[in-house]
Amino acid sequence: MTFYFAIIGTKDNPIYETEFGTSKQGGDGHARFPDEQRPMNQFILHSALDIVEEVQWVQKELYLKTVDRFNNLLVSCFLTAGNIKFLLLHDSKAEDPIRQFFADVHEAYVKTLMNPFYEVDMRITSTVFDSKVRAAAKKYL
Amino acid sequence: MSSTKAARIGEEVWKTRIDKVNAELVTLTYGSIVAQLCKDYEGDYMEVNKQLDKMGYNIGLRLIEDFLAKTNTGRCINFRDTAETISKIGFKVFLNITPTVTNWATDNKQFSLVFEENPLADFVELPDDGRAQNELWYSNILCGVLRGALEMVQMQVDAHFTSDVLRGNETTEMRVSLIRIIDDELPPGDD
Amino acid sequence: MSNLHNPASPFVPFSPNPAIQSGVASPTTPLSISQKTPQLGSSNLRYASSRKSIYDRHLNRTQRSELSKASFAFLFGEMIQYAQKQVSGIQDLEKKLNIQGYSIGQRLLELLLHREGRSAKRETRVLGILQFVAQTVYRHLFGKPADGLEKSRDNEDEYMLIDNDPAVNSYISVPREMSQLNCAAFVAGIIEAVLDGSLFPSRVTAHSVPTEQYPMKTVFLIKFDESVLERESVMPNN
Repeated sequence: MTFYFAIIGTKDNPIYETEFGTSKQGGDGHARFPDEQRPMNQFILHSALDIVEEVQWVQKELYLKTVDRFNNLLVSCFLTAGNIKFLLLHDSKAEDPIRQFFADVHEAYVKTLMNPFYEVDMRITSTVFDSKVRAAAKKYL
Repeated sequence: MSSTKAARIGEEVWKTRIDKVNAELVTLTYGSIVAQLCKDYEGDYMEVNKQLDKMGYNIGLRLIEDFLAKTNTGRCINFRDTAETISKIGFKVFLNITPTVTNWATDNKQFSLVFEENPLADFVELPDDGRAQNELWYSNILCGVLRGALEMVQMQVDAHFTSDVLRGNETTEMRVSLIRIIDDELPPGDD
Repeated sequence: MSNLHNPASPFVPFSPNPAIQSGVASPTTPLSISQKTPQLGSSNLRYASSRKSIYDRHLNRTQRSELSKASFAFLFGEMIQYAQKQVSGIQDLEKKLNIQGYSIGQRLLELLLHREGRSAKRETRVLGILQFVAQTVYRHLFGKPADGLEKSRDNEDEYMLIDNDPAVNSYISVPREMSQLNCAAFVAGIIEAVLDGSLFPSRVTAHSVPTEQYPMKTVFLIKFDESVLERESVMPNN
């Protein structure tokens, strides 16, 4: 299983992106997207945003679960109070583990935001943040 | 006064005579001030330090009255007394912390305050621009506060940070030095 | 009445949306097509061995912590003094204070909802978000909910949040009339950020409406964007 994860800001701008493979069932945690796949990933996530924009007025939960699919790929979404979107592109259903992954990332995001030197919609460049996201991925996915 | 007595007074006043407010509001407000200064001075952290010190100084001039009114502390008999009062009562009734007094100079005119906790710096990480961690003293307002407050009680001091965990140092430490006792006839120094 | 209070109009008009203010740094790039996974910059930050980073610190550690009101008052007073030096006129001053409040509101919104854990819900209706502000946000800041929430009878897009005795005012030791407007502008910024962030874009202005019983009474006038009303009108009624 391979995952592509992005955090999208309030202006549909990516503020963080990463990919990883599963650590479960003997996976080594490395992403295995073929090079041709990558541009598609961003396109898929981008069009998922349109769906999120509708779903968010119907569902009040932060975890929106799977919002879109494209061929064999699923897009799951978590929306923060301030309309920051966590989008995960994955190829098999895993509702609860993904929920837990998002919860950990949410916490890391709020910590990022509480820093007075960070402003909403800025790119997140902290390597510690990155390692927290990867740790969550390793733990749940 | 002894350290324990000062601590007791500080605790008592904190519990009974201080109106309280959500700590996070203060942390966020201070953060907003520092961030705004950094923007306004376009990353000139030395200037930001100066501004924070100035702001602190202005606060200190007024804070001392508030402090004296709330705590009824009498005149400090010597600088050691002052140090205990500042750390166990002063910081306690305003920030609910009690920094440790250490590193006394042999002439008893200099000491350090070591901060285990610093509510002003909660949640904070300095910008990763290669300079902030070498130049900015995030909590510099506290130095100004001490300077202003003590000036109003006839002590001219220098206060500056020598280390800060936000800069990657192991501790957050402020060095306070007594420059001179201000004579009543002379006007207090100003900025 | 203070000379800052224009008797012809009790409303102090202003309130820019900082997000569209020019000069606000917000590096945003459209979702772009790239061939490789974007690299993160390597960090130059040093950490104390004991402290690690902000990510290791528990978010809720200071949830119930308290500091003295005086600390807030002194800081706030300096914030006003500093802003005053940079502007000419009370409107610009309030703009500055609104902006500082705004950045606090953005953080509070995320922090408060995060703390609700798994049961956290985003607000999707006007009434819902207003209640969130009047109850949750207000309680967190001031220890008590707002005193009232009213819908304007004349304008569909206006609501009023009422505070009979803003706690913020009692902290300040500058001239009373001035302090009232200033503090309120700061709080208006907080409210505006919470509304904007939740996708209920609005302008929030503060007005002092003293009464016999409540000389410090303040009304926050919330004027929602047209888009909010349009969306609200197609929502199912429950």
